[in-house]
Parts: sequence; structure tokens; C-alpha cells
Amino acid sequence: MMIPVLATFAGAPFAVPDSPVTDATTPLDAWLDAAALVLILLGALLCLTAAIGLLRFRDVPTRLHAATKPQVLGLILICLAIALSLRSWPVVAFVVPVVLIQLATAPLSAHMVGRQAYRNGTIEERALIVDELAESRQTPPAAGG
Amino acid sequence: MNILLTAIYIVFGVAALLTLWRIVIGPSILDRAVASDVLLTEVMCVLGAEMAINQHTRTLPVLLIIAAVGAFGSISIARFVARKDNVDR
Repeated sequence: MMIPVLATFAGAPFAVPDSPVTDATTPLDAWLDAAALVLILLGALLCLTAAIGLLRFRDVPTRLHAATKPQVLGLILICLAIALSLRSWPVVAFVVPVVLIQLATAPLSAHMVGRQAYRNGTIEERALIVDELAESRQTPPAAGG
Repeated sequence: MNILLTAIYIVFGVAALLTLWRIVIGPSILDRAVASDVLLTEVMCVLGAEMAINQHTRTLPVLLIIAAVGAFGSISIARFVARKDNVDR
């Protein structure tokens, strides 16, 4: 990813900066870039948390609980980092629908997977405190599923 | 600044490897669906992080499309999976 920088500065006498982020001009730009990097690191740590949760938890609903963290919060952090790093309003207007669509579709898939995990038996019955779907399993709905 | 970039790369890589391991060993197909959903989300996060680090906007439409259609994969898996796929559990 640093090849275009090298190609642009091929004949320049000064050294090519090793990080593309370090070309900030004012202190405000430098602070905004650093904040964007910290936000990206937080999003990456949320992805790592979800991966560790996927490995450590026992059944499908608990894994789903760990998995839905980076889908919403991690993506919001990454989109904030994009907006802070690029600093233009068209990018913000492009990133806001991404976050809104993700907020709308992440509960859909989580709900479907959780409901199917309950019907499928891939759930620990002893871990349940309240079982609101018990009567729906005794008399399954006519639509199937 | 380079320490931060290296930390970001390492954390993303370890998270992707752990999620891939859950896809490989997942006992039921729903575990694999959840893990592949996490992997798709991480692909989105990596694309956005690359845009923010290198300061370009070329992969913004990819981000929008993945956010729009990414949920249909696990929805259709959850809809059409068999009623009992691990009876011996």
C-alpha cells in the first residue's frame, strides 16, 4: 500500500515517510489522525473480543451474544475513524447509511439464528432461566421454520 | 504511530484466525453461520480501517454493499437449516 507514495516521490531528494498517516500539516490534523488510529484499534479489539467469545462460549446463543458486538459497535467505531481521517462531508454522508443499514440488518440475522438454534437443539436447556418459547415448541406453528 | 499500526494489524489478524478456527471446528452449522457473519463483519472493519489509514475512498461502495447484503447469508442459513442436525449431542 505504500507503493504509490514511492512512485510519486521517486525522484525526490527527501526520505519517503514510512507511514502514510504522518503527512499531517497542522497539529489539529495530527490529533485527528491519531484519534482515528485509536478508534480503529478499538474496533479491532472488539473484533478480537468477538473471536475469543466465539471460541470460549459453549452454545449458539452465547456465541451469538459475543458475535453481535463488532457488528454494530465495532463498525460504528471504524466509520467514525473513516470520518475523522478523511474529514469531508460527502464521506460522512456515505458512511451514515452504512451504519444505519448495519443497525437494521444485524438484529434480523441474530434473531433468525437464535430462533433456529432454539428449535434445533443447539442450546443448553439447563442454562435457561425463563423459557418463553416452550409452548411454541410443543405445538409447532403451521408455517414451519 | 507505527506501534499503533502494528498493533492494529496484529489484532485484526489474530481475530480473523480465531474466527476461522471456529468455522473449521464448529459443531453445528449455526455455529459456522455465526462465525462467518463475524468474519464478514471483520472484512468490513478491515476495509474501513484501510481506507482511514491510507486516506482514500475507493472501497466505500464495497462497504455499503456488504452492509446491505451481508445479513442475508446467515438469515437464509437459519431459515433452511434442518430441524435436527445434531441429534447425538
